[in-house]
Amino acid sequence: MPMLLVSHLQKRYAKLEAVRDLSFDLSSGEVFGLLGPNGAGKTTTIRIIMDIIQADGGSVEVLGGVPRQAKHRVGYLPEERGLYLNMGVLDVLVYLAELKGWQRPAARKRAKMLLEKVGLADWAKSKVRELSRGMQQKLQVLAAMVNDPDLLIMDEPFQGLDPVNLEAVKTLLIEQRQAGKGLMLSSHQMNLVEALCDRILLMNQGEALLYGSLAEIKRQYAGHTVRLSTEGALPADLPGVVRRESVDDGWILSLAETTSTQDLLSDLVARRIPVLSFQVAAKPLAEIFIQVVEGGRHA
Amino acid sequence: MRNVLVIARREYGTNIRRTGFLVVTALVPLTVIIALGVMMFFSGSASQLLEKAFGSTPGEVGVVDHSSIFTPILAEFQDQFRPYPDETAGRKALLAGDVSALLVVPSAYLSNGKVQLLVLQGSGLQSGMLTDSPRMDAFLVSHLLRNENPALRQRAAHPAHFSTVQVSSKGESENRGPLGEVYAFLVPYFFSILLVITIFTSAGYLLQGIAEEKENRIVEIILSSVSARELLAGKIVGLGAVGLTQVLIWVLSVLVFSSGSVFLMAVQLSLPGMLRMVLLALVYYLLGFTMYAVIMATTGSVGSNLKESQQISGIFSFFAAIPYMVAGFAFSNPNGLGLRLLSYFPLTAPTMMMMRLPMGSVPGIDIVLSILSIVVTIPVALWIGARIFRVGILMYGKRPSLRTLWQVWRQAG
Repeated sequence: MPMLLVSHLQKRYAKLEAVRDLSFDLSSGEVFGLLGPNGAGKTTTIRIIMDIIQADGGSVEVLGGVPRQAKHRVGYLPEERGLYLNMGVLDVLVYLAELKGWQRPAARKRAKMLLEKVGLADWAKSKVRELSRGMQQKLQVLAAMVNDPDLLIMDEPFQGLDPVNLEAVKTLLIEQRQAGKGLMLSSHQMNLVEALCDRILLMNQGEALLYGSLAEIKRQYAGHTVRLSTEGALPADLPGVVRRESVDDGWILSLAETTSTQDLLSDLVARRIPVLSFQVAAKPLAEIFIQVVEGGRHA
Repeated sequence: MRNVLVIARREYGTNIRRTGFLVVTALVPLTVIIALGVMMFFSGSASQLLEKAFGSTPGEVGVVDHSSIFTPILAEFQDQFRPYPDETAGRKALLAGDVSALLVVPSAYLSNGKVQLLVLQGSGLQSGMLTDSPRMDAFLVSHLLRNENPALRQRAAHPAHFSTVQVSSKGESENRGPLGEVYAFLVPYFFSILLVITIFTSAGYLLQGIAEEKENRIVEIILSSVSARELLAGKIVGLGAVGLTQVLIWVLSVLVFSSGSVFLMAVQLSLPGMLRMVLLALVYYLLGFTMYAVIMATTGSVGSNLKESQQISGIFSFFAAIPYMVAGFAFSNPNGLGLRLLSYFPLTAPTMMMMRLPMGSVPGIDIVLSILSIVVTIPVALWIGARIFRVGILMYGKRPSLRTLWQVWRQAG
């Protein structure tokens, strides 16, 4: 049974259709990326899942029940986030854990363990406002995990982190996955999404454009870009090549939808062009993102 | 319910330590101390207090009598007043410190009442304290009536100890002490003002807390754990407890600092009347606080920052202040039509009724209608407030225009 099941979700704000017939699911031990440009409907979708706002249509099942009943087992890091600046670091975590149904002694123990883990133990008694920006960001991530959630939903978890803290947070998230927890990320940092996510859903203007396994999607979009190195110049009239870009050791060629990499290789051989290297290039997720969003292509 | 209590506990713990709370809470005991000082001063006790505090016992008063009315000095005053044959001798004694003041009575005293009191320069308020003192009054009157019997002299010096008897519309009489009438008004009146202050300080903290949570963006994290209603309820319970704590501290400090005299004043009043008044004041406090807390929470959720939220809430605070603007009418006629109408309007009802209750017999129908109007308003305010709060609290950076409020209302649907 999936940890999260979203079916035909709909939400409208006055004239704006924020989410349109959106469906996806997330299983345990999986990292799921919810991607899209600003205003795509990601935050609205997440807020509905978190039972902060109500959907107009469709259904959401969290950990096998309605979102309201699962609140205590879900961790949440919103995009618009902050903490009580005048509260103690440990006190904030304990308070948030108590709101998730934890008893105070257990909450303190868990909070101390997490602070220790990310190197903030010495700051436990300090006020939140005394922490550096990076430390506050780490504390935000801990706040989302303080209830030891089965499902963790994080909107831009890497925002404002320096490389060292970013690695620390990444490690925490990987541990979540290894522990069999579900993890849903929304981020504009595509390299991190690529490094962490098993499956993604790319949405724009409230609807899904791409949905599936990240590996499969990359395979699907990889077939039309070739990294090529030849002896001598490359003819200008290669059939099926819609774009060419010169790089240090040769060319990156983008192929038309109707042209396969095999077609291009056959043509080069037929023309007796000496090929030094021929590699089907994996397209970075960022490029797929731009291509899909700008092209409005439906998955 | 557990979440409501967790939130209430945090709100209580945080707000009870606010500098503003501590200052306002300390202000009342300080005011009581000052007020008691002033009261004692004007009731003639100040000299005794000063004597006790600084050991400056007012000495004897020298008397130079040209009218022959004060010669010889009556036996009961001889330990406080000392005669001198002429002003020169009197002044000499004053300068030598044998007497603390010199009373010079001219020969025409009986016809024009003019006398002179000589005191040394730098003797501060001593002359004022002497001229207004009961012992000086008694000295003058007793000598004017020296040929009358002592009982009459004594009565003329202290002509009457008033006790007021109030007759209710049912013909029942109620006997109050000499200051009963004043106490009957002042004690409940100041109590009601304190309650009103508490309502607005606590509701103000609520507004501030919500605006701050919105500004520092923690509210979405909280709402991922609790519902908007639980958050609202927790805050109202926590801050209501803060307000009650403040009232409790004030009442206890007033009792302690006044050495229980305010309590004694209170018990001089009719006990059933006092109990009824306190109970009603508490009812108006709880209802008024809940209503205003919901309103403040809603305005706090709509403003994009604390300043904006305070501007919006100012409109509602203005309503609550209206009764104090018309207080003059209330003093002369607490049951006037205008005041009665303000008692039925929910936004002015708590303050108007708290003001009217100590001023006299308020018709039962006014109490029923005013409570009813607030009781009906609270669920309506809660319904509207929770609806706006749920969406408004998540709207960042938007100025709360009427159009925005309308959008919020529609989105909440």
